[in-house]
Amino acid sequence: MASLRYDGISGTMKPAQFDYAVPNTVEEAARLLAESNGDGKIIAGGQSLMPMINFRLVKPSILIDVNRIAGLNRIELVGKRVRIGATVRHHQTASDPLIAKHLPVVHDAMQHVAHVTVRNRGTFCGSVAHADPAAEMPMVTRFLDGTIIALSIRGERRIPAADFFVGSLVNSLEPDEMVLAVEIDVMPDEAGWGFEEFAKRHGDFALAAFAATLRMDNGRARDVRIGMMGVGEVPLRLPEIEEILEETELSQAVLQAVAEKLNDILTPNTDIHASADYRRHLSGVLAKRALRSAWVRAGGRKEATNG
Amino acid sequence: MTDHQHPAELRPKMVGTRVKRTEDPRLLAGMGQYVDDMSPAGTLHVALRRSDQPHARILKIDVGEAFSVPGVVAIYDISDIEGEIKPAIPTSRLPGYYATPNWPLARGKVRYVGEPVVAVVAESRYAAEDALEHINIQYDPLPFAIRQVDAVKDDAPLLHEEAGTNTIIRREFKRGDVDAAFEEAAVIVKGRFRMTRKTAVAMENRSYLAEWDGRKQSLTLHTSSGSPGIIRDVLSSCLDLPGTRLRVVAPDVGGSFGAKGSLYPEEMLVCVLARKLKRPVKFISDRLEDLSATSQAFDELIEAELAVTSNGMLIGLKADVIGDVGAYSIYPWTAALETVQVVSFLPGPYRMEHYRGRIRGVLTPKPPTGPYRGVGRPSSTFAMERLVEMAARELNMDPVEFRRKNLVRAEEFPYRTASGIIWDKSAFQECLEGACEKADYAALVRQRDAARREGRWVGIGLASYAELTGIGSRISVAPGMPINTGTETSKIEIDATGAITASFGISSHGQGLETTLAQVIVDELGCKLEDIQVRHGDSALVPMSSGTYASRSAVLGGGAATLAARVVKGKVLRAAAFLMEQNVDDLDIRDGIIASRQSNLTMTLKEVASAVYTQMGRIPREQREDLTASETYDPYLGTACSSTHLAMVEIDPETYGVEIRRYVVAEDCGKIINPMIVDGQVHGAVAQGIGAALLEEIIHDDNGQAVAASLADYLVPVAGTVPNISIVHIEADLPNNVGGFRGMGEGGTIGAPAAIANAVSDALAHLGVSVETLPITPERIFQLLRDKALAGQPIQTPT
Repeated sequence: MASLRYDGISGTMKPAQFDYAVPNTVEEAARLLAESNGDGKIIAGGQSLMPMINFRLVKPSILIDVNRIAGLNRIELVGKRVRIGATVRHHQTASDPLIAKHLPVVHDAMQHVAHVTVRNRGTFCGSVAHADPAAEMPMVTRFLDGTIIALSIRGERRIPAADFFVGSLVNSLEPDEMVLAVEIDVMPDEAGWGFEEFAKRHGDFALAAFAATLRMDNGRARDVRIGMMGVGEVPLRLPEIEEILEETELSQAVLQAVAEKLNDILTPNTDIHASADYRRHLSGVLAKRALRSAWVRAGGRKEATNG
Repeated sequence: MTDHQHPAELRPKMVGTRVKRTEDPRLLAGMGQYVDDMSPAGTLHVALRRSDQPHARILKIDVGEAFSVPGVVAIYDISDIEGEIKPAIPTSRLPGYYATPNWPLARGKVRYVGEPVVAVVAESRYAAEDALEHINIQYDPLPFAIRQVDAVKDDAPLLHEEAGTNTIIRREFKRGDVDAAFEEAAVIVKGRFRMTRKTAVAMENRSYLAEWDGRKQSLTLHTSSGSPGIIRDVLSSCLDLPGTRLRVVAPDVGGSFGAKGSLYPEEMLVCVLARKLKRPVKFISDRLEDLSATSQAFDELIEAELAVTSNGMLIGLKADVIGDVGAYSIYPWTAALETVQVVSFLPGPYRMEHYRGRIRGVLTPKPPTGPYRGVGRPSSTFAMERLVEMAARELNMDPVEFRRKNLVRAEEFPYRTASGIIWDKSAFQECLEGACEKADYAALVRQRDAARREGRWVGIGLASYAELTGIGSRISVAPGMPINTGTETSKIEIDATGAITASFGISSHGQGLETTLAQVIVDELGCKLEDIQVRHGDSALVPMSSGTYASRSAVLGGGAATLAARVVKGKVLRAAAFLMEQNVDDLDIRDGIIASRQSNLTMTLKEVASAVYTQMGRIPREQREDLTASETYDPYLGTACSSTHLAMVEIDPETYGVEIRRYVVAEDCGKIINPMIVDGQVHGAVAQGIGAALLEEIIHDDNGQAVAASLADYLVPVAGTVPNISIVHIEADLPNNVGGFRGMGEGGTIGAPAAIANAVSDALAHLGVSVETLPITPERIFQLLRDKALAGQPIQTPT
């Protein structure tokens, strides 16, 4: 293990002092994290953490760099689940054939993630841990009912996504836990999907995004899953919308009902980029587009949804 | 991209050639040297505690345990240094103007969030930042008016009590009988236009390093400035140091876009601290500081009305403008620079007999506004060009035909505008035609109409404008400003090795002037490009200089280079005539070789230089001249640079996202020195204008806090935002200045916001809404449509 202390000899960087450790095993990383008494931070891509450190919004006593730990940079099929390791970069997830085949909605979502330089560093698990409610990775993990594998010196813990995202930038990890991997069930081969996102510049955090998966049974939608981001404090799974769609034939009227329901149930923030009203409007627009795609991909007729 | 080609034989060799920029090898290979690359031994670093209050009295500053942080050297507020420096006073001859004193640190009060209050000096920036966390400032919050419409009121809380008002600038331009014109008008269109606050976002943040030389009792400031000469002159007064003991150097500078052309508090601070502590002192702004304390731009509220006859002739224009100047009048440009230009340029390139334009510039508790590429004219062009298209629409006339009728025609030049600006002959009409021809306007209109029939929201918009560039001593760049912006000096020296050094007062910070000025000298002097070294950005090079801004360096620097090169060439040829025993009239020099029309004899420049300087007695004492010259050029008046931009946009009828489908610029910048560099300037400035039109907005909330303080919130255009830009260069009659050049570094930011606003308005015209605020974001389109009660109806979806 390498360890050195940044003592601020020169330069104009701005973080407060921290120790830096580069463990070679997950056990060592977990031990270092436990020893930091809650003041340590795991770093992989650093695309969210480093700005926070430079602004001194976060002042870790130690940064534990997991980039040199072997085996964490893999996307693997484990039974019926896709497992994404802690140092898998965005560019990898965006172009991985397993993801494209088994989780095509995640593949589509990844095309909206940031720009090349960020994709080359940022990690799927890091983004999930950061729990930004306007980021794609937490959203797909939540709406596909993924599982976050957390590790500490006390062992592994499997946290359902529904219990993981607690608030904006808040997760349910214990201070001594790190994200080892995220596992997501593969989508059935016959599933249709749709992912729609809108940002002012492509690659920015979404003003809103809508994702849907469903399959077709006798001309009706089944196993509908709906997720949204950018319109709440956490990434959303929307059972109210799923209920409207489950066992129905998708039509212009149903799409309109979805848009109206979204308008009723969503309570997005107003910020400098968009008002709550615009975000609600946008949610309806994106929902219709994503659901049309999902419906057609599941084998439905396009005409039914065109008004 | 260059459509307009001239026969090569009519051109001198280098001017007009796409020469690759000679500065690029060092910049692209990472060998440029910026201020932050310099770290003399013993350098101290400054971190600043900035105000978190928009307006408050400073009650107490408690440094707590800050000195316990290892490496902390000193902690200062203004009371520790005010005896060692005088404030910079941005004076102006304009009546009723108040010049706010500008100090290095807040004095008594803070007046905007981000204003520097306490400086920590330490052995490292880390230590200085650590110490900052111990400092506690107690404030007594004062009332404030954050919006210009409130700050302008008589009973508004005063930001500078000494001024007795927040309205520190008032100016009115009048010509003709505007009220009568409006009574006669068949059509009157009006709007309330606002280009919201922007900032330049140069890639290199502001950076300063001051070094005190105890032996010479002298100070050198290395600064990321575009105007080192201006900074030297003002600091000489503030610090009471003569120019022999004060040198200001701008090394490689990573962009300015106007924002690095002013004097900054931190620039004063490092100087006073270096002298006080007798050590090098460095301050490097971070991005948060850049977004909250570098000069900002625009935010005028323009209420304007245009009067038009039934056959589409412009007859009258009225405007009442409130400019939000921020908390201080910036040195040296003053709060008049941006504000007054909005009303002086508002009538644009059009014939306009009757005009009344009034501006009030008011202090608000926000960062000072200052120069920003285009200055005033992005706002004025946005307002005027919107009115022009609104009037054309009202009259059911094609906006191109409408402009054609009203743009000043060739036979009407020189044309004196209602505000007194003189347009020399420039290709106003030809640029309009050039843009339309390049874009195939008629086909574009058919495409738009076909798209509309499919339910798509497609619009075309134009913007025609003229700017005054390369201004000489007749007019100050900023109205009423007493410093000289009308001259530039070029000093050309051929040394004993035959190498040529050309020194200038200009300060290139991305414009490629090391290349273009060398091109000018090659043609005038007859030397080789690689034999010339262009030096700039250093106050020690020439006696007086003011830098690179206001689209002046090609005109003034190029003019001075031409004059100096001619003198040096004369000296070279006289020496050669003696050495070659030829008549001087038979000699010429090309590629550094002097040849005679009357013989086969040749000499190289190197041989002549050697004979003049090192071969004692080779030339008789009374004939021998140093091969040097220093010439100052003053074009006296300015010259018009004109342009038309044309944009086609498509708006998603559901998300309201705007995409630019086509973009064409036709411009007349006189004789083109380097078409590649001109293209680059147009591309860059249009990109910047697209940012202003669609994305960028500095926002202060009602509490006076800056809420777009990172690049995740202040959105600049990225590669994906910028379309292909077609450029048509129109080289019509050359202006009456030494080189025949017109300044062209700013134009794109002037035309793009207006053209895009017009295109978006055209795309939304069937919905009865009009763009009056920029940036026009999806949110703003949503609000416009909702206000028209259209957004709630079922949306027409293209299939």
